Amino acid sequence: MIYFDSAATTFQKPPAVAAAVEDALRTMSSPGRGGYPAAMRAADTAFACRNELAELYHVGSPEQVVFTLNATHALNLAIKSLVPPGGKAVVSGYEHNAVTRPLAALGAQIDVAAGPLFQPAVVTETFDRMVTPDTDAVICNHISNVFGFVQPVEDIAALCRQRGVPLIVDASQSAGILPLDMTALGAAFVAMPGHKGLYGPQGTGVLLCGEGQKTATLLEGGTGSQSIQQSMPDFLPDRLEAGTHNMPGIAGLLAGVRFVRRQGLEAICRKERRLAQLAAEGLRTIPGVHVWATPDLTAQAGVVSFTADGWDVEELAGALGEREIAVRAGLHCAPLAHRTVGTLESGTVRLSFSAMNTPAEVCRFLAILRKLSRG
Amino acid sequence: MENYLIIARSVTYAQRMQNVLGRAGIRCRIFRAPRDLTDLGCAYAVQIQAGDLSRALTTLHRASLDPVQIFMTQQKGLYREVEP
Repeated sequence: MIYFDSAATTFQKPPAVAAAVEDALRTMSSPGRGGYPAAMRAADTAFACRNELAELYHVGSPEQVVFTLNATHALNLAIKSLVPPGGKAVVSGYEHNAVTRPLAALGAQIDVAAGPLFQPAVVTETFDRMVTPDTDAVICNHISNVFGFVQPVEDIAALCRQRGVPLIVDASQSAGILPLDMTALGAAFVAMPGHKGLYGPQGTGVLLCGEGQKTATLLEGGTGSQSIQQSMPDFLPDRLEAGTHNMPGIAGLLAGVRFVRRQGLEAICRKERRLAQLAAEGLRTIPGVHVWATPDLTAQAGVVSFTADGWDVEELAGALGEREIAVRAGLHCAPLAHRTVGTLESGTVRLSFSAMNTPAEVCRFLAILRKLSRG
Repeated sequence: MENYLIIARSVTYAQRMQNVLGRAGIRCRIFRAPRDLTDLGCAYAVQIQAGDLSRALTTLHRASLDPVQIFMTQQKGLYREVEP
């Protein structure tokens, strides 16, 4: 199978990830729940993973790295820590339902800073107009999961700092691909999955919390600390980590993060961009195919959306799937992004790459699509 | 032999203490704090040698890792709280 759905989850992981998961199942119990070797081995692994992530994202202390189930869980924690019921949030025009649905559930006023695709300067100007001191939070993804648009989060962070408005960065598509400096950004929270560009197993996610950031709990329960007290501890990570940890997942995530750090973000990003560029150039040569990509992939990472005349996007993805090419079609849980670009009615077919893909796979995909498009 | 138990509020804090002390050349080990020593229940302790206490507290304070409590122990099961 040729797997081009890494924006959903990276399916091909480094071998060390599966080995770490298996090792955790055999040798680790629960961190923070005992002093015996299996518990301490789990605690050491969780701590090592927090440290790796803290170093990668320039987070002040490892306890500011909170393990979650996925990026959606992390975003819910961040949003519900900052936006009160009926509050006000300014979001980019490319947000996922993991952002817009929690805001809708809060009954929040959602102001959309809908800048045009691949024009980061205009996006910043739009935020500049819309973010006011009474904004409870600004939420912006680093890379659009539909179009690969790299949004100007550093510039948006700067204007949030100027106005004293907390920023949440959704790094779902950029984690493991583009650098982020939590300290320099001054973001309140950065949310990310463990199972995409960080190559951890599904069921892992991370919330990076700003130093001293107040947090609201979604779950209450055992933490292995201050057990007499019936309220959740007021310190991280325990406050946001009720219940038993996903130790096989965290061990696998640690192996994935170490893989990413060995490869280097720049090398991974360069590789994925080359693949995206190769795909976009090839797609443009197929009659009836419409592709959303910049010519030199400025402001775009390794995600490319397209449609083909005469094909429903789901049917096209199905036809590709039958030929052993895995892609995602439809709205990609991001109707707002499709509304912004004007593809809400049709949806798109999305190609999303990882460090495991090759140019030969892209060429094979293009050859198959060319055949399909001829009918 | 006299040594000290530095009580940390969670396993993560105890691990940070261990890292910081290790970097300063102070040997220590982590274990579950004895139940009698923790009013709030469930905590971890970092054990250090008596002669290292002053330097350990300075090192931890510099890293913003002040202990919840400190206990001196001379024999198993007998602890006396001391002021930092």
